Parts: sequence; C-alpha cells; structure tokens
Amino acid sequence: MGATGSRQSGKPVSSIDAIPVTAEVVTGNVAPLLHEVRHALKRLADGKDGTVIDLQCLPLAPGEEERIEEVLGQGEVRAEIDALGPTIIQETSYPGVWLVTHRNTEQAVVGRFIEVTHIPELLKSQQADIENGANRLENELKN
Amino acid sequence: MRNDQFLGEYLRMQGVSRRGFLKFCSATASLMALPPSAVGQVAEALATARRPSVIWLSFQECTGCTESLTRSHAPTVESLIFDAISLDYHHTLQAASGYGAEEARMAAMEENAGKYLLVVDGSIPLGNPGFSTIAGISNLDMLKETAENAFAIIAVGTCAAFGGLPRANPNPTGAVSVSDIITDKPIINVSGCPPIPVVITGVLAHFLTFGTIPELDALGRPAAFFGQNIHDRCYRRPFYERGQFAETFDDEGARKGWCLYKLGCKGPTTYNACATLKWNGGTSFPIQSGHGCLGCSEPNFWDKGGFYDPLSAGMWGSRDALLGAAAAGAALGVGSALAARSRKKKAQAAEEV
Amino acid sequence: MTLLEFASGPGLQWALWIFVFGITWRVVGAVFLLARKDLSKPRHRNTVRAGLGAVLSRSTPAHAFEKKIRFQHFTGYAWHFALFISVLFFAPHILFFKSVLGFSWPHLPNTIIMVTAIIATAVLIALLVRRATHPVQRFISNADDYISIFVVLVPLVTGILAFAHFGARYETLLAIHLLSVEAMMIWFPFGKLMHTIMTMPARFQAGTAFGRRGVKA
Repeated sequence: MGATGSRQSGKPVSSIDAIPVTAEVVTGNVAPLLHEVRHALKRLADGKDGTVIDLQCLPLAPGEEERIEEVLGQGEVRAEIDALGPTIIQETSYPGVWLVTHRNTEQAVVGRFIEVTHIPELLKSQQADIENGANRLENELKN
Repeated sequence: MRNDQFLGEYLRMQGVSRRGFLKFCSATASLMALPPSAVGQVAEALATARRPSVIWLSFQECTGCTESLTRSHAPTVESLIFDAISLDYHHTLQAASGYGAEEARMAAMEENAGKYLLVVDGSIPLGNPGFSTIAGISNLDMLKETAENAFAIIAVGTCAAFGGLPRANPNPTGAVSVSDIITDKPIINVSGCPPIPVVITGVLAHFLTFGTIPELDALGRPAAFFGQNIHDRCYRRPFYERGQFAETFDDEGARKGWCLYKLGCKGPTTYNACATLKWNGGTSFPIQSGHGCLGCSEPNFWDKGGFYDPLSAGMWGSRDALLGAAAAGAALGVGSALAARSRKKKAQAAEEV
Repeated sequence: MTLLEFASGPGLQWALWIFVFGITWRVVGAVFLLARKDLSKPRHRNTVRAGLGAVLSRSTPAHAFEKKIRFQHFTGYAWHFALFISVLFFAPHILFFKSVLGFSWPHLPNTIIMVTAIIATAVLIALLVRRATHPVQRFISNADDYISIFVVLVPLVTGILAFAHFGARYETLLAIHLLSVEAMMIWFPFGKLMHTIMTMPARFQAGTAFGRRGVKA
C-alpha cells in the first residue's frame, strides 16, 4: 500500500500480544441502559411486574459490558445452572437485579440478560421437570 | 427421523429438561431479535411445532456456507435448532450417497409435498447445464424440480441469493441466483459470504416458531438481520465522525483502531448483522480485526470497485480517458478561437472595402 | 445496475469527461482569443505586480459602494468560504479528488463540515430568495443565473441529507447526491459557474492591461 498519510515507526512486533490495542470508543449506551435498570427496579419495588433486558441487542463497545458489570457489582447470590451448557445467574449488589449469562457447551455466550425480578424464572424448578422427577423417584423407590 | 414429531417432544427425548428448553427458547428469541417478553410465546410455539422436512441443495458453491453453520462438533443452541429440523438431504452432512441419496430426496419431496423447506447454496450456471451437475441432473433442472412443491426457499449465501463469486465479471458460467429462476415461491435471501451462522439458524428458528417466513427487505433478506447497515452499528463510527482514519494497515491510526474508510471499508453501503452479532460466537468481525468491510452481503460486491479503494473514489474509469477528453477540448478550443479570429478578420476586411 | 452503481460508475464517468472537455475548450479558446500584442510603448514593463494588485483590489468593494453593498459583500464571502470548506475538506470528498488528481490533502472533522454545509445552504437560499424578490436583481437575472444556483444548491442539500441518513435509504440518498453533482459538472462549462475559473485570471488580465499604461486598476 502506498502510504500517503502518517506512518509512524514501522517496528515489527515480536508477538500478537505486543500490539497495543487501545479503543477509546464509547457508544453512549451504558448510561441509558443503567437508567432503564433503575426504572425497572423502582417498578419492582412498587410491587409491579419484573423486567428482562436483552444485553445482546444493544451495540456495546469493547469494555462497556465490563463497565456495566462494574457498576452493578456482585451481591449475595451466585447460581450455576448446567443445562445445554453452563448458565451463571449472579445477583448484583442491587437486590432484585440479576445478571444472567447463558453459555453453550463450547463456552460461547448465547445469551446475556439483566433480569429485574424477585427470582429469575430459570432458577425455579419447572413443573414438567418436577412431574417427571416425581415419576422417576417413585420408580426408583419401588426397586 | 420422524417428521410428525412435535419439537418439544423431540427435545425431551434428547434429554433436554424443561429448564434447558426455556434456556434454548430464551437464546432463540434473542437470536431472532425478539424482546424478552416474547420468550413465553416462543416456548409455546416451539413446544408444539412439528419438525419440518428440509432439503438442502448445493450448487455452484464453495461449501463455506455449510462450514459456517456446522463448524462446532459439540451440541450448541444453534446446532440444536439445526437438529430440530429434519434434514432429509445434504451432500456434505448426509451418510447416504448415490442412488440411495437421490431416492431419499424424492421420498422426502413426496411425503411432505407443499410443506418442506428448500435450502439452496451456490449459484446456478445457465451457460451450459454440464458445468454443474448432481447425479447427472443439471442444477437448473434439480432446482426447478425440487422447488415445485416446496413451501418456501431459503437461498443461503451471496451465491444463491445474488449470484455471488461465480457471477463476478466476466461470469464465465452464466451464473444466476435462485430468484432469477424461481419466481412463484417465497424466497428468503440469507446473503453473506458466508452468512453469519446465527442468521441462518435465526431464519430457521423463525420458521419453527411461527411457521411463516420473516419480514423481508427490498432484496428479500430478513429485515431483522439485514435492516441496519454496518456503518450505523460500527463501534469505530466515532472515529469516522472525528475524522480519525487509518491510512495504512500498520500505521498509528490502525494500531489505535481508527476508522477504516480510507482503506476501502464498504460499511456505509452494506447491510448485515456483523457489527452487532459478530462472528465465532460474538468474538469479532472484520472491522474489529482491522480490515475494512468487503460488503459481502450485497449483490455484485466483487465488481463494486476494489476492496481497498475508498467508497467515495467511485468507479469512474481511467485518468487517461480524462486526459483524452482534455486534449479533445483543447483542440476544439483552439479550433473555435481560430475560426472566430478569421471571421473577425473577414468582417473587418469586408468593412474596409 | 442499481442507481448508485450508475451514479458512481458510467454517470460519473460521462460527467467527468464533459466537465474536463468543456472547461478545456473554453479556457483554451479564451487564451487563443486574447488580444494581439500591444505595439504601443509601455509605461511599465513588469505588469505582474499590477495584475496581482487588481486581483486584490477587485476582491473588495470600491470605496464609494462599500456601505451600500455590505450585505452582498459579507454574504458572498461567507457563502464561498463555507462552500469551499464543505467541498474541499470533507474526508470522503478528498478521497474522490485523490482518485482523480493523484494527490490529497488533510481533512477536517465531520462536525465542522456539517456546520459549514448548513451555513452554505442557508446563505445560498437567502441569496436566491433575494435575487428573486429584489426588483433590480430580478430584472437583471436570467435563466443562466437560476440554473447555476440550482445545480449547486441541490448537491448541498442532498449531501447534508445523505450524511444525516435522512429521508430515504442511504444508497438512494448517496446516488441522488452523486447524480446532482454530475448535473452540476455537466452544466459547469456552459454557464456562469465558469466564473470559478475565469474571475481571477480576468482581474489579473485587466490589471496588466491597465498597469502597462500606468493606470491603477
């Protein structure tokens, strides 16, 4: 490529990690998202329904998701679900605000949600599974 | 594979708990860009959906689209959606071959007439039917035959959707897209070279959930994934606005992650989900890795100027032609000036007489 | 072929050819129509200084008219200044010029360009309205004036709309912007837009002609 613009010292780098990557980019989506959580939490506190926010439908620059996690912090409850891969449900330092991260069996993230609720749906045992389990236990104890 | 089985039942038989199924629905709804409030509806629809029969025809293609979709070896949510369909014919993935394979295709078409999904990757050569054949049948004939009783057609990849690489100048095989041949069936163009895997499964998931084809844009692509252009969702957009561009691939600007417009990025005129969904499970996409967008989900992207020529440079031809135009103009200028002078001289001479 | 493919391909090609052909024709023609050598004895041999002096002196209003035409004076400069910045210092434009000329120059941030483009558009519309309503201006204006203004106004407006992604799909806005620029390029050699190229040389030429006779122009 014929360079016509600025071309700083063309020192070859020794490894891929030595390439400094600085992304000073903001999408401006962090603050509005946190305010949405604030409103949802207020509604929950007033006795209204919970809210689920899908983090994957918002463009977030590298580092911004970490910033959101940093602000929300970690609370008293951390649950790990093993269904079609691991799912981590972490209550943040704000009771009622849960961070749900779904991963598949290859550890790739397939879903990230902030649930503002008393307890995330997935933590509850499901009716169909309970019924199956009841039958199984009955059969198990017969033998 | 039983095609009359409910999807919910099928997943339960695979050992997926209700909790796992809900996780699956949650991820699927997110995939289809549905709000979390729709998860319940998705769960209900998927539980009672029937496993549709899918016939996958591979024509003039590089198999990249299939590779994009099936890279993982362990079950993932995406592959579970893929498994949820009854894939009755696929060259790369099926165990059968020869007459057995073709018989399986004919049987699936008959049993599910009017209800099966036809997935096509690769373009269709019209120059000579012998350029691309399967079991001695030309692509054109096989497409027409299989499309006749299909419910809908999904053209996977830019080759099937718009002609792709084979269609690039000078198009030696006379390659055309699926929609150039089939005009009486709904066609969903899932373009990209290759398409993002979750986009392919997102379309299948939509079909599984709602039994209909999703909303399409003017080029027949699912609007949920192709509705925004890369430029509007690119995380490097602030650099574009501030006028901070990388001039070469290894200069200061490139290392700082500045905008790649000057290095030929076609982001502003390309519609795809790369900037938000990204590739390899959300790891990265070309721009994040330092290379401009090629515009691979757009028709004729191979012939839209060089990959490294900036968008605004245009495709206006050569400077030599301009110099030729200047020479012609100069000639006319001299000629008309001299003609004007001689007219004036003659008029003066006539006056003096 | 889509509208954008046409606008950035054959449309642009033909417009550039006509633009280059037409301007070369008129400029070369004008040069070859220059008056014959003046055989009278000159007062001053070095007329370059006089020529440049005329370029400067005719770039500001004559003292007697200063107050009366203050409005035209300032808006005229504001319009040209804003236009040049918007056209010549916007990064995508510079990349286009680079593809034609082979060289480029530094660019300005997009927000500055947006401001100057809006200023240029607003001033041009104000001047257009004045031309159409002021009795004297209206009397002396002809089709050439209005066409020349129009073919510059449309690229400005469509450029702003395309940049803001406002009004239609981006490719359509971009194609319309390119087509409007092509219309301007095709009109350019044949109307009053040629003042772009002719004005300074004409002032210089008048300056040298007067300077030779020792008269301040």
